[in-house]
Amino acid sequence: MNLGRKKRRMVLALLMGVCVVAVGAIYADLEIGYYTSVNLGRLAQPAPPRLRPNGVYRVAAYPLYAPQLVPGVGRQDAAAYCNTCHTPSYITMQPPLPAAIWKVEVDKMGKAFGAQIPTDSQARIIKYLDAHYTPQTRKR
Amino acid sequence: MPAHSSNYTRRALLKTLGIGGGALALSHFASASAFAQQEPIAGKRLSPFTGPGGNPYWNSVGPMATYPQKAPLVLLTDRPVQLETPRHYFLDPITPNDAFFVRWHLEGIPNEVDLTSWRLHVEGNVNKPLELTFSDLLHKFKPVTFAAVNQCSGNSRSRFEPRVAGGQWGNGAMGCARWTGVHFRELLDMAGVKSGSVQVQMQGLERGKGPKGMPSYEFMKSLDLSNPVLDECIVAYAMNGEPLPMLNGFPVRLIVPGYFATYWVKCLTDVRLLDKRDENFWMNPAYRVPDTPRGTTTPAEVAAGKVKMIPIARMPVRSFIISPDGATKIPAGLPVIVRGTSLSGFGGIAKVEFSDAARGGWREAKLGEDLGRYAFRIWECAWTPEKPGKYSLAVRATDEKGNVQPDEGVWNPGGYLWNKIERQEVVVGDAA
Repeated sequence: MNLGRKKRRMVLALLMGVCVVAVGAIYADLEIGYYTSVNLGRLAQPAPPRLRPNGVYRVAAYPLYAPQLVPGVGRQDAAAYCNTCHTPSYITMQPPLPAAIWKVEVDKMGKAFGAQIPTDSQARIIKYLDAHYTPQTRKR
Repeated sequence: MPAHSSNYTRRALLKTLGIGGGALALSHFASASAFAQQEPIAGKRLSPFTGPGGNPYWNSVGPMATYPQKAPLVLLTDRPVQLETPRHYFLDPITPNDAFFVRWHLEGIPNEVDLTSWRLHVEGNVNKPLELTFSDLLHKFKPVTFAAVNQCSGNSRSRFEPRVAGGQWGNGAMGCARWTGVHFRELLDMAGVKSGSVQVQMQGLERGKGPKGMPSYEFMKSLDLSNPVLDECIVAYAMNGEPLPMLNGFPVRLIVPGYFATYWVKCLTDVRLLDKRDENFWMNPAYRVPDTPRGTTTPAEVAAGKVKMIPIARMPVRSFIISPDGATKIPAGLPVIVRGTSLSGFGGIAKVEFSDAARGGWREAKLGEDLGRYAFRIWECAWTPEKPGKYSLAVRATDEKGNVQPDEGVWNPGGYLWNKIERQEVVVGDAA
């Protein structure tokens, strides 16, 4: 009985010891010279421009990095009409906004800014924003 | 031992060196660590949006992106272009041109300007309309240079609670440059403002895809002719002694010291004297703030239609903690120099105070060089955290008019005029 207990204790101690050494070994390995591939991306350097001494001052085309809108019913309408005047990142940059505010925003585009959006498309855009970009619905 | 400990030691050492040497380059490096990997899991990135609560980060959360004539900046939108200046650039009172924030309203931003055909027009209710070349501006007027902060009206909009729609700027929609140009008044006088003129309207090359006559087609801003700020305005053709980057308004932009950037019209081409008030969308209802102390109100009051709105004007006093930025743990007992910047549209900064909350109370920080009443005023304060733990560092500024930053936010429907006391949490670790 006593002997069994002692044995069990020894095995337990041994196991713990192995664990400590293993964890130690892992951390010893990580503590120094820890490199890994990242998925944050990197930015390419632009090539220098070729300039001529005339009166035209020019810069390169402005790059587009527009994000994708979440798939769903009404996305086509949003992509087509909102994108006329501005990038869809005007939508994705917003915090999750209540449905009432999205409606005000879509109405503003028509009334204040003169965007010509058919009524049924307008309704689909509002529904789409409610389905994906409110505090209750926004996932990404 | 956490996996990133060796990284940490290296940073702490650099930080110490930065303090000891006072070397700007080193402190820049240490502070830039906010954009370096902090987590043992490499590649962990920020969510692309914040909310429904306020944005807890100093900058907005977009990715870094490269644009013509620009260092990598934080991208808000790509069409039209809106870019935010990363935090560490504000250790210096002058913001480099290639790091200066960018904000356009309409997608038609010039990619090129031909100075052989470009003209600055001063017209409308004047005796003698003017057409000036870039060379005229360089040679026919006395050049004026001063430093002034250019801050977006919506800077820090992402702090608002409840959140409001609009560009979700963090704190980096601001910058301070040395602007060189000609007195705006001289141009007006040369053209001869006719009596009965009430406002002067500015328009640049920016155009949108919307129908003519709509705010989605053109952007125009006006100032009252009776506004004394006109005496301080210049039409700037140089920024920090260099041509303006295209995205910051090449070839010239209006400088309105003390005022929010909405009036600093970029790629300026047309100055019009008006005999009646400008009621175009960009003057009304856009860029308006409640006519209340601090321009604050509530969603309920706005919904009830009770709030009188007036055009946004001068920038309230603000201050910022730039370093430490919370990305690096500080060993207990290590003397640290807390650094930051400050500004006010109502005149110079009189005082900046710092608090670490633990000791309570505010103590006065040391102000950096005075580059003029409308420039950034950097500050620093020696700080030695004695015990491990979390500290909430806070900073508040007082301007020459006696305006002090309050500890309450503001709320208005446009997301303007944020100037609440800024805080930075830092973690102090065991040193023995």
